[in-house]
Amino acid sequence: MVGTFLKRVYSSFATKVLDVPPRLLAFLFFLLLLFIPMAKPDSYTLLILTIAYIYALFAASWDLLVGRSGQVSLGHALFFGVAAYLSAFLSKFHGFPIWATIPLSMLFCALVAVLIGVPCLRVKGPYLTLVTLAFPLILFVIIFSLPSPVGGEGGIALPPRFFPREFFMERGFSLSEAVYLQTLAEYYLILVSLFVSSIILYRVANSKTGIVLVSILDDESASKACGINVTKYKLLAFAVSALFAGLAGGLYAHSFGAQGAVAPEAVLGLTTSFYPVIMTIFGGIGTIYGPIVGAFTLWTLMEFFRVAAELRALIYISIIIIFIVKWPTGVAKFVVEKLNDLAKEREIDERKKKK
Amino acid sequence: MPLLEVENLTKRFGGLTAVNNVSFHVDEGDIVGLIGPNGAGKTTLFNLITGFLEPDSGTVRFKSEDITGLGPHKIVNKGIARTFQVVRPFRHLPAIANVIVACVSPRASKKLEWLKSPERKALDMLELVGLSEMMFESAGNLAHGDLKRLEMARALATEPDLLLLDEPFSGLNPIETDYLTKSIQRLHLDGYTMVIVEHKLHELMKLVRRVIVLHYGEKIAEGSPKEISLNKKVIEVYMGKGAT
Repeated sequence: MVGTFLKRVYSSFATKVLDVPPRLLAFLFFLLLLFIPMAKPDSYTLLILTIAYIYALFAASWDLLVGRSGQVSLGHALFFGVAAYLSAFLSKFHGFPIWATIPLSMLFCALVAVLIGVPCLRVKGPYLTLVTLAFPLILFVIIFSLPSPVGGEGGIALPPRFFPREFFMERGFSLSEAVYLQTLAEYYLILVSLFVSSIILYRVANSKTGIVLVSILDDESASKACGINVTKYKLLAFAVSALFAGLAGGLYAHSFGAQGAVAPEAVLGLTTSFYPVIMTIFGGIGTIYGPIVGAFTLWTLMEFFRVAAELRALIYISIIIIFIVKWPTGVAKFVVEKLNDLAKEREIDERKKKK
Repeated sequence: MPLLEVENLTKRFGGLTAVNNVSFHVDEGDIVGLIGPNGAGKTTLFNLITGFLEPDSGTVRFKSEDITGLGPHKIVNKGIARTFQVVRPFRHLPAIANVIVACVSPRASKKLEWLKSPERKALDMLELVGLSEMMFESAGNLAHGDLKRLEMARALATEPDLLLLDEPFSGLNPIETDYLTKSIQRLHLDGYTMVIVEHKLHELMKLVRRVIVLHYGEKIAEGSPKEISLNKKVIEVYMGKGAT
């Protein structure tokens, strides 16, 4: 008697829980991130999370380009780097406020994307990938050879942070408190930026424009036969993707970058180009939420394994390989598809019961 | 005033002349068959008309406007739609999204009825070809016959004035063939102008009013189905010398 009752309660509960749409799950996840600072983590943890959000945004922007339109770019660091540099340069040497330099560098990134997209998109497949790979390296060399305050190995040292220390000290906080609050404010700013941008990216990816982009990925000729100006849509994907990669770069320049320098190696190096690739494939390509999950998981894991410094890279790579072999479509995509399948199965079961 | 005029069209691939000095025209409301043995240049001719290939010489005029050498998407937006010999669905997209792609093209969105969304129109197109029950099925899971119909829906969604069908009957079973024959007849009654490339002469001859025969890239005959079936040259090409 009690057993059947409990069973019924459990099954209704399971139905409710499994009915939670992925959208709500994502929202709850963001809510959780909002409340993390309540646990009073040290500024180091906050910083790690902040960088994870920046890379999540960066990876999501890559996913819009590659997961939707299928134009594989291995030079996405170009946009990250251009925005980080431009924003740091304008705000440090020309005294522009950060609130103006980031949108400006985002727009500049979109412009750069269109300018390099016009010649680049004439080549296809692996050739396009190789061409895109070259651009950040070229810019890297150019910046490396520039004289010191702007270029060189060190890049632009100490660009202004989002919230200057004085802002908090004037309001009666001590120095150490102000330093912590700086990080905390950046944490929230970047989290909200990620939240808003990922919603926009997701909506673009699932709009009719997104559908057209997938059609280009599937069969370019058939897409043309449907009357679609393929080049225009590819450029659009490039530009929107660059816009958000630029936002990630700008956010980086005035948070993590501002604690040391916006250096060419960090923002234009090969690793920066490869981060979004690894994170997106780990989480699930073409989903927008995949790269966010991927960036969050991989970046925090990477930091966690600092306890075993020598083995860190080995463990990290092993985990990636195991996950990709086990769930080739990506972890987040696998989970969401599983949830959808379960929901469908239950719906069919219920229909059968009614009959 | 012919809808489509093809004049002295020539295309060479290296030493091979795939289409050699072909001229013909298609009138409004006409339904024309294009036949010939394998490698006769039928698909190449389609590719030249629709802009997927650029001709070496000759002109293509559509509604007395020169469209030679325009890009494929521009030609579609002028009003020429085509289907492919081998089906080319967007495999990652559900059936309805396949058609939505065509519905958001500039020409289709301009011709969209007032208060009608592209989604609604895509569904109407699927209904027209009898695929509306499969609307959420991923195109990668559809059977060959369904994909042929999907291709048709996609072409129709671009609001064409001229429809080029490349082997619409290939790989269809008798029931599907019958269904497609009826669909094409209905489209013809609705006023669509069509050019059909087909190997299944039995089905084609019932449908068309005029037949053009290509052989090694050259036009060797043109006329009504009856004339063509009695034409010595055509029989020679299909059956070999001495068949007559």
